[in-house]
Amino acid sequence: MTRIKRDAIAYLLIVGFCILMLTWAIPTYTPPYPGYGASPALVPNVSVCVMLFMACLSLIRVGVALYMKKPIVAEESEFPEDLEEGGGFTQVGRVKINHLASLIIPCVLLVVAIEYIGYMLASFAFLMILQYVIGSRKWLQSIVVSIILMVVLYIVMRYGFGVPVPGPQLFE
Amino acid sequence: MEMIIAGLLDSISPASLMFVLIGVAVGVLIGAIPGINGPMAIALFIPITYYMTPLTAVGFLVGLNKGAFFGGAVSAVLLRTPGTPEAAATSWDGYPLTQQGKGEKALRMALYSSVAGDFISTIVLILIAAPLAAIALFMGPAEIFALISVALTVIAGIGTTSICRGLIAAGFGILLGLIGTEPVTALPRLTFDVYQLGSGLSLIPVAIGLLAFSEILLQVEKFTVKGGGGEHAAHVFSSKPEDRLLPFKEFFKSAKTLLRGTLIGIGVGAMPGLGAPVASFMSYDQAMKRSKHKEEFGKGRLEGIAASESANSSVVASSLIPLFVLGIPGNLAAAMLMGAFMIHGMQPGPLLFKENAQLMYGIYGSLVLASLFLLVIGRFGLRYFCKAVDIPAMILYPIVIFTCIMGAYLGKSSMFDVGVMLTFGFIGYFMRKFDYSYVAFLIGFILAPEWERALQQVVIISEHDPFMFIQRPVAMVLMGLTLFVVARTFLCSISAGRKKKQVEVAAAAAGQHKSD
Repeated sequence: MTRIKRDAIAYLLIVGFCILMLTWAIPTYTPPYPGYGASPALVPNVSVCVMLFMACLSLIRVGVALYMKKPIVAEESEFPEDLEEGGGFTQVGRVKINHLASLIIPCVLLVVAIEYIGYMLASFAFLMILQYVIGSRKWLQSIVVSIILMVVLYIVMRYGFGVPVPGPQLFE
Repeated sequence: MEMIIAGLLDSISPASLMFVLIGVAVGVLIGAIPGINGPMAIALFIPITYYMTPLTAVGFLVGLNKGAFFGGAVSAVLLRTPGTPEAAATSWDGYPLTQQGKGEKALRMALYSSVAGDFISTIVLILIAAPLAAIALFMGPAEIFALISVALTVIAGIGTTSICRGLIAAGFGILLGLIGTEPVTALPRLTFDVYQLGSGLSLIPVAIGLLAFSEILLQVEKFTVKGGGGEHAAHVFSSKPEDRLLPFKEFFKSAKTLLRGTLIGIGVGAMPGLGAPVASFMSYDQAMKRSKHKEEFGKGRLEGIAASESANSSVVASSLIPLFVLGIPGNLAAAMLMGAFMIHGMQPGPLLFKENAQLMYGIYGSLVLASLFLLVIGRFGLRYFCKAVDIPAMILYPIVIFTCIMGAYLGKSSMFDVGVMLTFGFIGYFMRKFDYSYVAFLIGFILAPEWERALQQVVIISEHDPFMFIQRPVAMVLMGLTLFVVARTFLCSISAGRKKKQVEVAAAAAGQHKSD
């Protein structure tokens, strides 16, 4: 997918989000006007309208460029090495879904598991998985890093700040 | 006078001294690691400051930020991989010096320039912030509303190539900043019946997710997908004293450049929206243009390091001027510091000098002490901090990710906040990939409640008079400025696009002509 198409999809999603906010979320989840001051819905509506206006403006610009078959000048991005020419359009910072999932899923699993199996086991397993995902194949190093980090943060939280670590505790 | 003495005495209390010292040391260490910068470090460490007094908390975070600014130069000089964006110009002359075996000399120059720039800037902040705040006290809600509007539009241009995307990000930040209890009715707004959202989204998980977690997601992606991490520091330090040491005479040769860089840094930092990278590049450019040895720039000239480091370090203190005077963060680090103030129950702005004068003088003391500690720590620990650039990514990234998760949990001891942090890490990843400014988002998120409060006050005071802003000349000028900034940015982006196209067409025509 070229960058311009991807941007157009993003703008369309933003337009959809704004319409949803204006027609459902803001009217439903905003308190009624109390009779003085500005309406509680005013600033949320203004911010959503700004987003909607800017997304529509950008969509028109993209639409005109596509209709006229004029290439949009490649804009600099945070990842210039990702720039790839594609019929005048460019791809910038392609999303690597597999990579993203490989990091986010262990994090989500940690949040869920910590409530059931406790901080010690969940964080040890999480750190081992994370190191494996990042590319570490030295098992001994992974085990040592996981144990040290888990214990240090436990001590800092429990005894340094007096904050109970999440989930059931192994030794209590 | 009593307040000043009491504040300064607070800043030299053992706890305050210790935390400023730890902040600077940790900041240098973290800044030296490529990819971790000052605002990210502040986001990661803000949860810890929950358990400190306001003075030690702000002193620690300011020390952290100052240390990280210098730390960025370590990896820039040794690896040509700037630890922070503002250190990029430092690498242009620093790395060639490292290749010549003069890495230690380059780092000493970076350290002394950083400390000098930062110290002068801190003094300027101390001298001008309080008098300016006294003037700012005359501003009413209409002026504050207009001022925040200007700041939001100026900041919308940071971190993105498109003002449209910047304004979308700022609007999204404002929208999410309004979640929670509505100030006039005291009823929940946009909480979607989720009780944890009753007090709004906490800044800590949002900031950790956007600044730290999303950045680490990208860095791990670079590391795993593109097979990075092959960089190793070329810091084989020479044993010859002339390659290691920086005599005062040699340092003094760059004094003029250093002073110019500091002034540029102070000016740029005091203006919301520009930031340290702009100051650094501007100063380097001026130093090169005014030098008699232009050809030596980029090949290992100490003056280049002095220009870049003095400018970027002087931004640290001067960016606090708009924060202390007007309550508006000039850059991301200032926005994070504003968050830290708010966590400790203080609202940055002109009233801070009136209501917390002793604390403010304590902070001034901590700022000066942080500069001195940076000099001492940098001077004696330089060789040890250089080892930070060699920490293997496979160990570093899991540590940072796990710290992000536990940092988000620490604030309220709530796994809900961890979920918020992960969500914003995910959002931040897409914002960076799609070129939406997370800086504008975060500043919009932080300023939204204050912006709405000012608007409510204007509406209530004026009894719904739509001409309120016209009756207040300063507010009218500021609202005009907001429109001007938006219009100018649009026009500039259109003309820049046209120029680029013309250059491309000309280049294509020249290529065609050559092939013919």
